Amino acid sequence: MAKAFSTTMNINEILNNQFLLVFVSGIFTALAASFLGAFIVVKKMALVGDVLSHVALPGIGLALLFNVDPIYGAVIFLLFAAFGTWFIEKKTKLSADAIIGTFFTATLALGVLLVPDQELFESMFGNIFIIKPYDAIAVIIASIIIFALTLAIARRLTLSIAAPDLAKSIGAKPDIFYLAFLLLFAMSIALGIKLIGSVLMGALTILPAISARNLSWSLKSFLGLSVILGVLITGLGILLANALNFPPGPTIIIFGVVFFIISLLFKKA
Amino acid sequence: MKETMPILEVKNLSVSFDKQEVLKDVSFSVDEGDVLAIIGPNGAGKSVLFRALLGLIPFGGEIKWRENAQIGYVPQKLFEKAELPLTVKEFFILKSRNLFFRDRWIIESISHELKSVGLNQEILGQQLANLSRGQFQRVLIAWAILKHPSTLLFDEPTAGIDLAGEDTVYNLLRRLRDERGMTILIISHDLNIVYRYADKVLCLNKEMLCFGAPQDALTGEQIGRLYGEGVFNHHEH
Repeated sequence: MAKAFSTTMNINEILNNQFLLVFVSGIFTALAASFLGAFIVVKKMALVGDVLSHVALPGIGLALLFNVDPIYGAVIFLLFAAFGTWFIEKKTKLSADAIIGTFFTATLALGVLLVPDQELFESMFGNIFIIKPYDAIAVIIASIIIFALTLAIARRLTLSIAAPDLAKSIGAKPDIFYLAFLLLFAMSIALGIKLIGSVLMGALTILPAISARNLSWSLKSFLGLSVILGVLITGLGILLANALNFPPGPTIIIFGVVFFIISLLFKKA
Repeated sequence: MKETMPILEVKNLSVSFDKQEVLKDVSFSVDEGDVLAIIGPNGAGKSVLFRALLGLIPFGGEIKWRENAQIGYVPQKLFEKAELPLTVKEFFILKSRNLFFRDRWIIESISHELKSVGLNQEILGQQLANLSRGQFQRVLIAWAILKHPSTLLFDEPTAGIDLAGEDTVYNLLRRLRDERGMTILIISHDLNIVYRYADKVLCLNKEMLCFGAPQDALTGEQIGRLYGEGVFNHHEH
């Protein structure tokens, strides 16, 4: 730890410092996930986010079967599921909850059958030991892109989610913004799979946002607090996990729940 | 030169949900600067008509807006406010065409529009969820007229605004018509309002029952057909 901050440290040492890689990629994952999570809460689809993340599992299983990096399998399955949710919601009158609850819980079962035991556990709950420098850099860049894109469409996205009729009345296309949002969300779930795991990633998107909701007085403060809390929870979670030799995913989530309970004390009526 | 073509022309409009017709063969036209009141019992398809006029739902028949007609829409209700902390100012900014950057035009217009709906600047910092119903409705109107649309579609809430408040909202709408030459389509539940403020009235109960100037179109017989006899008696003061 102390070594990480010494001035003699060179770039190779940074890249080989496992803790630092986990810490930094965790922070960036949280940045994107907790920002998107705020919109998940506005759309009232917290459980959707949770179940959607399970869709990653069969993708991971298939990728392992074909000897590909599991993250690619997860990304493909998640993007497909996000698009499927959007499409079915548009074509039928089913709510996103019903669609995901019905169609995608099955993917959890499928995932359990397809993914070998050891990888299954890691895919679901994350693993601190498998972050390579290359992974970390990819996660950081992807997180920044997801965050920036979400920030760029935040206004239209808010109006599209909260009042689609008003959005259409001013010539916006709420459908398109909703789809973009689901795809961004799927990507951010995929980013967290290695570190935090698919099961817990859903929780990381929701926990900062619902805590922020309790504390916020405006849209700006809501989005800002959601991101700050997400980063804080993740940073503290990884530090504690490192100190106690716990896996980071569950530690982060427990921090999230603690913050949520604290936020309840400040809840505005 | 006076524009003689109507600003809106609707011919044989039909809307179906799940093969059930909610609007059937509705035809009418609206001239520029007119106030058209749309009346009918609950479930008559009044809000559906608005949604079709806005192009929010698929429909059969023809809806023809005059070229460049800009439409402002005041919905009956907005969203479940609880999940979205939004200040009045932020709500206005959501209308910005700029996806991300500051929209100077919007910021400058907000105070002008607030004034014209009778609200003062201090409301900008308040949360939408904390406004009274009357304030909230005025904010919705200000939002709708922010870019000076030529036409305003106003879906009146069924309940909750006291009569004094309601009266001034109608005065406000009439003033918008007089000062800006706005065309106003209003869904109303109160026949008195229709007689006092509307140039034309459209009676709707899935199909069109009457259309014309209120004193001609709204005969006792028509009102009876529209709402049932009880309501007619109630309004005969």
